[in-house]
Amino acid sequence: METQSVIQIKNLTKIYRDFWGRKKVRALNSLSLDVKKGEVFGLLGPNGSGKTTTMKLLLGLLFPTEGEITVLGKPASDVSKNEWIGYLPEESYLYRFLNAEETLDFYGRLFDMSPQQRKERSNQLIELVGLQNARKRQLKEYSKGMTRRIGLAQALINNPDLILLDEPTSGLDPLGSRDMKDLIVKLKNEGKTVVMCSHLLADVQDVCDRIAILYAGELKELGRVDDLLKEQHETELLTSKLSPEAVADVEAVLAKHNAKLLRHGHPTNSLEDLFLKTVQKSQERPGQRFVPAASEKS
Amino acid sequence: MNFDAKPFLLFSNIENGLMHWLLVFGSFIGVIFAATVLIALGIYGVSGPVAVMGRVRQGLHDFVNLSPKRIWAISWLTIIEAVRRKALLVFVVFAFLMMFAGWFLDSDLRADLQVKNAVSFALTTVSWLTIPVLLLLSCWGIPEDIRVRSIHTVVTKPVRRNEIVMGRILGFATIAAGIVAMMGIVGYVWILRQVPNNASLICRVPVYGTLQFLDREGNVSEKGINTGDIWEFRSYIEGGSKASGAYKFSVDAPVDRIKLESRFEAFRTHKGRMGQSLLVRYVLVNPTKDLRVPLDSFEIKEFNLNEQYLERKLSFYDEARMEKRTVDLFDDVVDQNSLTIEVQCLDVGQYLGMARPDFFIRLPDRPFAVGYFKAVFGIWLLTVFIVSIGVTSSTFVKGPVATLLTFSLLIIGQGFREFMIKLITGVQKGGGPIESWYRLVTHMNDTLELPDNIGIKIMQGIDNVMLAGLWLMQHLIPDLTSFVMSPYVANGFDVPWNVAIFRSLAITIGYLVPCLLVGYYSLTLRELEAK
Repeated sequence: METQSVIQIKNLTKIYRDFWGRKKVRALNSLSLDVKKGEVFGLLGPNGSGKTTTMKLLLGLLFPTEGEITVLGKPASDVSKNEWIGYLPEESYLYRFLNAEETLDFYGRLFDMSPQQRKERSNQLIELVGLQNARKRQLKEYSKGMTRRIGLAQALINNPDLILLDEPTSGLDPLGSRDMKDLIVKLKNEGKTVVMCSHLLADVQDVCDRIAILYAGELKELGRVDDLLKEQHETELLTSKLSPEAVADVEAVLAKHNAKLLRHGHPTNSLEDLFLKTVQKSQERPGQRFVPAASEKS
Repeated sequence: MNFDAKPFLLFSNIENGLMHWLLVFGSFIGVIFAATVLIALGIYGVSGPVAVMGRVRQGLHDFVNLSPKRIWAISWLTIIEAVRRKALLVFVVFAFLMMFAGWFLDSDLRADLQVKNAVSFALTTVSWLTIPVLLLLSCWGIPEDIRVRSIHTVVTKPVRRNEIVMGRILGFATIAAGIVAMMGIVGYVWILRQVPNNASLICRVPVYGTLQFLDREGNVSEKGINTGDIWEFRSYIEGGSKASGAYKFSVDAPVDRIKLESRFEAFRTHKGRMGQSLLVRYVLVNPTKDLRVPLDSFEIKEFNLNEQYLERKLSFYDEARMEKRTVDLFDDVVDQNSLTIEVQCLDVGQYLGMARPDFFIRLPDRPFAVGYFKAVFGIWLLTVFIVSIGVTSSTFVKGPVATLLTFSLLIIGQGFREFMIKLITGVQKGGGPIESWYRLVTHMNDTLELPDNIGIKIMQGIDNVMLAGLWLMQHLIPDLTSFVMSPYVANGFDVPWNVAIFRSLAITIGYLVPCLLVGYYSLTLRELEAK
């Protein structure tokens, strides 16, 4: 059975015009794609490739020059679709004179939520994004990371089915970034659909099921992350540590099968993993410091 | 007293007003709709008008499905924003002015003039401080939201664009209500402390009548005599002749006595009696019964008020019957709820000047606070009008342009609308803009006939087109003079509901409806990107 489409984009073109109606930039050119229910979909591309434009067209903030967009079965211009959508903008464009509680209360009101519902949901989300200690501070006093967190909280205030995240990890430290990615996976596990656009490729690779790569407003690649990254002409084996003799034996076996060993060595962790491990250790054993080896001291 | 409270009888004028409003509003909508359909047809073919109809349907749907909770949420945001951005600092300026104003107001004046100065100062300060603050707040709110893109987090929620416009207007109107109420109360206390004798704080309730002039032969005349004053507010009647000013008042239930108040002006052609003022007489007239009841003559107090009482039973000498008679004011004199009083000047060769508001029946006074707070309410209504225009214009232009637009409308509505009407109707001499320019360049004053040639005809043709534009503008630009209610209170009068408050309320509502419509479509049809 085919999975239900949450977003359908057909031949979407967006041309920005100047005040006099003259064509300025063709931001998108005949883009067509579907986003299925329950998947995490990534929009990739360099700056100016049309990721944010696509996002804004989905939300009805911009109007398409040509083509059709259907979001949750409704046209993008239909306001009622927003009942089930959460949106985290690229910059957290929030009201800086409100504090975290007021911000979430305000956005909750826009969904006609009762005061009780708003209070419960605000507390839940403030805890989720880790802003318990800053809930009464005005957003103008927040760091960029904190602003992203409260931005995410407002996007989730209505417990949406479809979440659109524009550069969700931008401005976050590795810990925050990891939390954000964990949250995206958690949302996916709850059956939500997440569409995110980013140029931080590692983040996209970590969480996305499918991706689309845009360049100069055109779709260049679309598919499952695993399929797209799989190198069809090579095979990877991971073993416990081998002696040089064992490596030579492996090479001999490979030669017998008309193959050759392209590279061998010790696999490395990602820098992110090392960083997170170090921070975790520091939290568990505060006061422990790095002591250089004797050779490094000289 | 030098202002004329133009009557605005709500229930007799509402039909005409509503028809006029529907005509202007309907024409406005009709023209825009027709232009949109034609443009859409030209650009997109048949699908264009279909899309336009879709938008209209969507608009109707959005107006029917408004959410009061969301509107109030936007209003709440607006209020918090204004408070946190320190808009209420205006109170500091107000308090500062109130602390030191007393030093500069003349305390040696007559009591009623002191009241006039104090009330005018307090109410003018309230309006001059409130209006600029609300003008700036309302004109910059939405453009700033668009510039910093915080509006993106609002319109991506199930918020309709008309809810944003309504929420903003309601929010600013609430802020205005708070500011005006606080300042009004402080101003009231200040007036009580400023005026040495609180008994001079009065709130008279006048019943004005209509005025008709009779000339020296006793014939009906459109106006009295002009004594050379360029200001034609008052007309004069000739003393010692049959000339009179006949005031006709509407009276309802009989009362024991009626208080009359007047303030006439004298124009002398000779010194007259030294140390004495002009002699004036009231004659009560019932034309149906052919009854004329002359009252005792009295000397008018110039530049001051004359007070007389009409008792229920009136004794007089009937010259026709050559006998002394007593008549009942309501049974004999009042004719079908109408009381006619002719004002005559008895001094030969002197002239008595009068205008419609110079003579009235004075009903029992109301507390001063009643009139004062009605005027404060009038200031609030004006701020609501400004906020409606400011918020609406800010949906399609940036803050500075919206401010300029709203401010211009305010200035024209309060001061230049009469001039526009004079230009359109030809009362203002000198022709349209090109003709005026031509006359200036050729040194022809406005009384000289222009030469009859094709150039002049073309020039006048262009002027007529421009004047037609002006005609259109004067239908769109409101008359905001009724919002200024402080002269009533400053002159010791109550603010009449029918003349000032209903009129201002009608104007506010009349503009609020199209503002919501324009604001809604403006926000719906534009991409909310900061550019």
